Amino acid sequence: MDKIANIQAKKETASLQVQTLGTFQVWREGVLISSKDWGRDKSVQLFQFLVTARHQRALHKEQIIDRIWEDIDVKAGEQNFKVAQHGMNKALEPNRKSRSEAKYITRQGVTYQLNLSEIWIDSDALEAYISIGNQSLTSNPTEAIEAYRAAIDLHHGTYLPNRLYEDWSSGERERLQILILGAFINLSELLVEDNPMESIRLCQQTLLIENTWEDAYRIQMAAYLKKGNRPMAIKTFRQCEAVLEKEFGVKPLPETKALYQKIIAL
Amino acid sequence: MPAKKDETASFVLRFTQKIFQNEQKESEVQWRGNIRHVQGGEEKRFSEFKDVVNFIQEKLADLTILAMEEKSPEEQKGILSKSFDLWKRMSLTYPKMVIDTIKDPKAGVEQIQEEVNQQFSQVKEEVNQQISQVKDTLSARLDPDMWKPATKNDIQQMMAAIERLSKDVHTLNTKVEKLSK
Repeated sequence: MDKIANIQAKKETASLQVQTLGTFQVWREGVLISSKDWGRDKSVQLFQFLVTARHQRALHKEQIIDRIWEDIDVKAGEQNFKVAQHGMNKALEPNRKSRSEAKYITRQGVTYQLNLSEIWIDSDALEAYISIGNQSLTSNPTEAIEAYRAAIDLHHGTYLPNRLYEDWSSGERERLQILILGAFINLSELLVEDNPMESIRLCQQTLLIENTWEDAYRIQMAAYLKKGNRPMAIKTFRQCEAVLEKEFGVKPLPETKALYQKIIAL
Repeated sequence: MPAKKDETASFVLRFTQKIFQNEQKESEVQWRGNIRHVQGGEEKRFSEFKDVVNFIQEKLADLTILAMEEKSPEEQKGILSKSFDLWKRMSLTYPKMVIDTIKDPKAGVEQIQEEVNQQFSQVKEEVNQQISQVKDTLSARLDPDMWKPATKNDIQQMMAAIERLSKDVHTLNTKVEKLSK
């Protein structure tokens, strides 16, 4: 459980907290940075880009400009970067003395990177919780349940929803969505026997994110069966069958069909 | 929100593999996937790769049509036909490459890398050829035996050569950038 506590502790100690899932918000020393503080959208965009590229090596200014503002010429790109950098630093550290080093953005020559030791990011924490859950899935199910719950608590929606149409954010959004779908499925499976209603709720959450995720239908059927609700288990199979036919033109997997046969034979 | 960039179409492609045993107890593999057009937000589910090809072709055609709104109908027809030809060539090669990559990821990546390297060498060769042509032209002009003050016509020819060269370099740069991406 120490590993889970360590992730929670980092949130308390980091002076900058960033929410990227469901909505984008940043707190500086516990105070929300308002849209007025951010000024232009370019400043938010640059910070979000650096958050998205946080696991890459430091990025050259030109690479950053090229990814964020790919359709404009070099001169306009340089100008955008200058304006965005100024606005971003002002929002993150309004009291920083001029010419002093920025605390949250590490600059080396013309390369830039987030200083992650000072920043807590929800999507990083979510990934760390899921990693703990996956590692202890078979060896320590109690720890896995706690870790997956912590991850799901952080999931308030899609990654950077206001950048849904930006190329540079797509890869990270897809990666996180696959991670969270896995967490929902593993947790709902862990809870089928002891808490079938919670398992059903989690499966329904999964299907809201991705309505073709067959595992969610199957686990939901098993949970209804555990509750003794045969009609709902059958209804869930019918829904699964209809969705898979409509979206992919395929039948449910033999595993799902076998569970259905078991249910109707009761 | 409308599509934002009129020169770029990005796609996020997801494959989910399902391995199961059929009624004859033979192993079967099924691919389920979805493809999303990033700039427009549209999404399509698929279990056959031809649906992906059609989806991409549709989006690229939209992009081409949008880019040539100002052009004459004849020009539009020509550009659209070239765009379809280009995509037809790609769509015949790349599904195989994707399937090979799924079967053997390392070999697939090597194959793609090899293709990129080949195309890069080709571009490099083209650039070198252009440079030697310019060198030849310049050295011919700078031959001491033929040394004479440049005429207005010489200057115009040189300007035209430089302009052609800059256009070629720009085109090659675009190709190199596309290949690097």
